[in-house]
Amino acid sequence: MIHLAKEDIKHTFGKFIVTAMGVGMLLGIVLIMIGVYRGMIVDAEVLLDDLDVDIWIVQEDTLGPFAESSRVHEDLKNTIKAIEGIDKSEAITFQNIQLPRADKKVRVMAVGYDIFGEINPINPQRLIAGRTLKHDHYEIVVEEKTGFKLYDKIKLSRHYYTVVGITHGAVSSGGDSLVYISLKDAQELQFSYSNKRIYSDRARGIYNKDSHMVNAVIATVKDGYSIDEIADTIQKWHHKSVYTKEEQKIVLTRNLIEKASKQIGLFTAILILVSTIIIALIIYTMTLEKMKEISIMKLIGLPNSTIIKMIVEETLLLGIFAFIFGNIFSHLIYSKFPKRVVLEIPDAWMLFTIIIIASILASFIGVKKVINADPTAAIGG
Amino acid sequence: MSAQQAIKVENLNKSFGSGDTFVDVIHDASFTIYKGELVALVAPSGAGKTTLLMMIGCVDTPVSGKIWIGDEKVYDNKWLTKTTRKIRREKLGFIFQAHYLIPFLNVIDNLVLLPQANKVDEKVAKTKARELLKYFDIAEKEKAMPSQLSGGQNQRVAIARALVNDPEIILADEPTAALDSARSIDVVKMLKKIAKEQDVAIVMVTHDERVLPYCDKIMKIENKKTVFEDVSAVK
Repeated sequence: MIHLAKEDIKHTFGKFIVTAMGVGMLLGIVLIMIGVYRGMIVDAEVLLDDLDVDIWIVQEDTLGPFAESSRVHEDLKNTIKAIEGIDKSEAITFQNIQLPRADKKVRVMAVGYDIFGEINPINPQRLIAGRTLKHDHYEIVVEEKTGFKLYDKIKLSRHYYTVVGITHGAVSSGGDSLVYISLKDAQELQFSYSNKRIYSDRARGIYNKDSHMVNAVIATVKDGYSIDEIADTIQKWHHKSVYTKEEQKIVLTRNLIEKASKQIGLFTAILILVSTIIIALIIYTMTLEKMKEISIMKLIGLPNSTIIKMIVEETLLLGIFAFIFGNIFSHLIYSKFPKRVVLEIPDAWMLFTIIIIASILASFIGVKKVINADPTAAIGG
Repeated sequence: MSAQQAIKVENLNKSFGSGDTFVDVIHDASFTIYKGELVALVAPSGAGKTTLLMMIGCVDTPVSGKIWIGDEKVYDNKWLTKTTRKIRREKLGFIFQAHYLIPFLNVIDNLVLLPQANKVDEKVAKTKARELLKYFDIAEKEKAMPSQLSGGQNQRVAIARALVNDPEIILADEPTAALDSARSIDVVKMLKKIAKEQDVAIVMVTHDERVLPYCDKIMKIENKKTVFEDVSAVK
């Protein structure tokens, strides 16, 4: 049985492969775009999963520190702790800071926590060197991508912090590395000002009363108690906004990265459309190049179905080869991206399905050309 | 035993356009060609040779008339079959000025393509194709691509392709146009041999008067009508 598509591709194999590689690169970028989106979701959930708390208590009428400014009193943790059903509660701070490195500044999100408290945000499985914080001041645990090494000294505000631990894969929803400092240091960094600023404030009658503020209080609930009921109680009686872990996840994955995901989705859709158009143009050109042969095939009596099968099979093979190259390409380059890129098999299969449908659609233009081809065009040299 | 009819045409008409652009090309043409005959179709440029060839080849549609391929009436003021392509595939063979082999298929696949479309068993089709390649003395080239063959070898493969589906008629559109005198005569002699040995009617459009003496009949288009001329007159 002669497979016209296979024989035609064999005849111009180099050209076909280079073409498939070109389209494959486009598809690889599509896979990377989807991977960036998946990476954003994974990044957004890292901190929540590492903390693994049931309830987030934040400033009233705010979505919490990841979405907007939130300040609550540190001692709120004691009030929360006293509520029936609460197992552990701790105060926590989050702030974006720039770590000064010799060559450049590194943007990170600093997590401040009570090192003697009940909840430790550092996931021991992420710790690849050193230890967690042991002293109340001037120690820092950094993520490996910050480029700092154990015992490096980092100047923050007025003090030098010693790197005592290095983690792997601890990132914020924005993709910034997470660093961990003690709650006291975090409060000082966040709420204490320089001496000149303090003088200036005092001259205006302003005294720094905010140093015992935190961004959120987090808590776990004892077994047998309803998380939602406790959350409702706190919200009702303590004039705070309260989110469960799932709600906080929604805030992080929907509210915060919604626009980014829409942007990526739009880019992805445009790239798929461009790929389809390119495949269609390639198939159209390939069909045009074969018009003489197609006219002869029609003249000698080959049915349209045989010729159309050749065009459709060639388009599908181009799509399949491009998809394979796209996967290879994306797997070769994904680790070079500064933010996390997560390539998942279901996404690849989804893209495969789209490309097969797109290839069939793209082949229509070639098929139309075949149907309209004039067999008498073969006559007359 | 009388020769079998291969093509019969009755009152065939073909015109193009209408009003000021109306052109009458073939008017009331009637003729019969028998199996085993090599017929040269001769006329000045633009007289309608190729148009007539395409009508009896079931490619171009006449305005009116009747056409038989073998004993089967295929046209009676309209095509009598759903698709004319099946007639071409099963009953006709075509030879062109150039070989027009499919460049991405090797010699044997070029020959097997048509029988495959006719649902002929692959082994049977290949056996037939190999017989033809042997007949044309190019058996050793069956795996070669057309680009690897000489012009003469490609033309022989093209003729073999025209014969592979055991056609009743071969329609040849100026098969000697690109050849020198000696090779033209060789090709026409070969076509005549094929017509006799394969019992097939061959209608050959030609401008080349040097090959006419080697044909069985000469059909001319004069004043839009077809007329047969005695071959002995051109010898």
